[in-house]
Amino acid sequence: MRGRSPALPARGRNTDAMEPTRRQLIGGAGVLAAPLALAGCGFIPTGASPSADAQTLTFTTWGTSAELTGFRRAIASFQKARAGATVELNAVPYEQMFTNIDAQIQAGNPPDVFRVPYYTFGAYAGQGQLLDLSPHLSSGFADRFTPQAWAAVQSGGKPYGVPHHTDTSVVFVNRRALDDAGVGAVPQTADDAWTWSQFRAVAQRLRRAQPDRKYPFAVNWQGNGVTRWLSWLFQADGRFLNETLTASAIDSRAARTAVDFTRSFFPDRLVPANDSVKSTTYAADTWYDQTTAMVFSGAFAIPDADSALKFDWTATPAPRNVRAGGDFGGNALVATKGAEGKAELIAAFFEHVTQESQMRDFCERASLLPTRADLVEGGIEFAVRPELTPVLLGQARAVRAEDSAQVASPDMSKIISVLQDGLEQAFVGGRGVDATVQALASGIDRAVGA
Amino acid sequence: MTAVTAPRRRRSRGGRETAVAYGLIAPNLLLLGLFVLLPLAWAVSISFQRTDGFGGGVFTGLDNYARLLADPVFWRSTGNTLLFTLITTPLSMGLGLGAALLLNSVLPARAVFRSILILPMAVSGVATALIGLLVFDENSGVLNELLRFVGLPAVQWQSGGAAAFLSIVLVTLWWRTGFNMLIYLAGLQGLSPELQEAAMLDGTSWWQRLRLVTVPLLGPSSFFLLVINVIYSFQVFDLVFVMTGGGPQDATSVLVTYAYQNGFVVRDQGYAAAIGMVLLVFALVFTAVRWRTSRTKDLTG
Repeated sequence: MRGRSPALPARGRNTDAMEPTRRQLIGGAGVLAAPLALAGCGFIPTGASPSADAQTLTFTTWGTSAELTGFRRAIASFQKARAGATVELNAVPYEQMFTNIDAQIQAGNPPDVFRVPYYTFGAYAGQGQLLDLSPHLSSGFADRFTPQAWAAVQSGGKPYGVPHHTDTSVVFVNRRALDDAGVGAVPQTADDAWTWSQFRAVAQRLRRAQPDRKYPFAVNWQGNGVTRWLSWLFQADGRFLNETLTASAIDSRAARTAVDFTRSFFPDRLVPANDSVKSTTYAADTWYDQTTAMVFSGAFAIPDADSALKFDWTATPAPRNVRAGGDFGGNALVATKGAEGKAELIAAFFEHVTQESQMRDFCERASLLPTRADLVEGGIEFAVRPELTPVLLGQARAVRAEDSAQVASPDMSKIISVLQDGLEQAFVGGRGVDATVQALASGIDRAVGA
Repeated sequence: MTAVTAPRRRRSRGGRETAVAYGLIAPNLLLLGLFVLLPLAWAVSISFQRTDGFGGGVFTGLDNYARLLADPVFWRSTGNTLLFTLITTPLSMGLGLGAALLLNSVLPARAVFRSILILPMAVSGVATALIGLLVFDENSGVLNELLRFVGLPAVQWQSGGAAAFLSIVLVTLWWRTGFNMLIYLAGLQGLSPELQEAAMLDGTSWWQRLRLVTVPLLGPSSFFLLVINVIYSFQVFDLVFVMTGGGPQDATSVLVTYAYQNGFVVRDQGYAAAIGMVLLVFALVFTAVRWRTSRTKDLTG
């Protein structure tokens, strides 16, 4: 029989009251570390609290290292141009960005300026959280931007932000996979882009040439990227909201065409089964591991693809149907309503970072597309794979103002959820075209309160 | 004088002890109040409001709860949460008990096996889910590669509803078995060997000793694990969020991922808070029922 000794009381421990015990030390360290830990969790804003100094702006953003370098260079240039002004950059991970911003707005201490995707912009502008810039920007300021970019930062007819850069999707292709399938050179300009039927024919050719476990292409509509499905709707010359953004306009022949075409990708095995809108596998990953021969992606992906991929690849414009079209991706810079006291400084900062030289530097370094009309007309060249710049710029020109204006809807967050649910049902749930379009229309109407 | 002073001294000592007790418990009570009870009361209040996502809200009574009743995704998420709990709780405990029994015996290299089983506990939920993605990716995951290698068809771990649900269950079991094993192992090592020996002398089989002696004696451990496993299962989020995002077609949507979707993606925080309240009620009711019906709970705490 095995015996067990009762736990012996600790003896011989230094119990001198004048010396801190290990427990006291740990407790003390915990008390000291708690504020740091809370700050790390985002409970306590670190560099993002509104600065009382009238010449200091707090600016919260996320970004790749190239983007953050671009912002730091732009800030340094602004501070040099405007003596006494300071911009405090607070870089946070994208995953925390908007839960932090929302919490800071609720707590009444948001940053003065922050970066926001166009599809999220409307949620802030529509709820009165942003500063109306119209009285503070110089006359003619809007003229520097493309109409589609300027339309994306309007709410109720007023600008609540500045379009800092954009991005839109083209098709990246694995050159060898296409060669093996007998597909020749791919189009390089928007004018000779594949039509939907030509694109489908290429995909079917790849389907026949590839082994069963490989697929012709993948579409980047996962997560909030579901707004990229709208590219197909725009190419079919459709809309999802009416002109006043107050009711759904998706119950249309164009929408039926777009749903029918994109839905067919799944039963025809042109895309992997896990390429649906709610999948957690991003389309780019399937292209990187050569499960797919082509992928829809944006300029932002070029540096990573260039450094990571061992195969020969290039890009071709997105296919067109009734017309060319694309999603208006990218980000705006906005100011919070509470920063009105610094409106003049904010306007100066926004004007500075959207100057021709500043935007060129930012976009070329970070591989993003400009929103200035002069730069879109061919004024930039990416630092990485510069020969692809015209393909991306051409695609950006295909975006229309009436398309990008819809994405600025204040109800876009709810509309995104409607699109995700409706398209998931169509793509993997087997729901028919008419039922899908009707579900999207009623869901969007509910979202906008029509 | 002496007769009067003694009780007074006792009272004063008793009062001092009470004060010390309150002093010792105060930091915990303060933290509990600040980080659990206050947010809870806040969430209850928000669940009765239509919110704008930025702190503003309009009191709408039971509207959010009425919406829940008519929301098919809520019911699907509730069903999934209950099914997930019903599957993972007994399996985690059963596998944990089995592993603990094995590792409590004279198994060679048991210290290594214990470490291997406990290792997933040291990994964060998100990291575990990312490992799960590497294994269950249906295009290039390890598991489908293995299946293809042995000539079996690949499984649609991400695009098939049942398979996606199963993948979440399997990763949960991998993650949680070690914890269950650890608690049971501690329980087993606290059992007196005399009872086992007495049962052996009475001619009982191994199975009878397990069923009639060991498992009943592990009652306090089982009670603790049952409550913890059920609450963990009700609150599952990170594995689902990273591995399947609730898809495909809400096949893996659970109450917490649905609350997150509403609270932080759609910014409908009132509705999200109402979903959270449902979750809270489930957990409280379960714990209360289990507490009242358990004969083997550890009353000494």
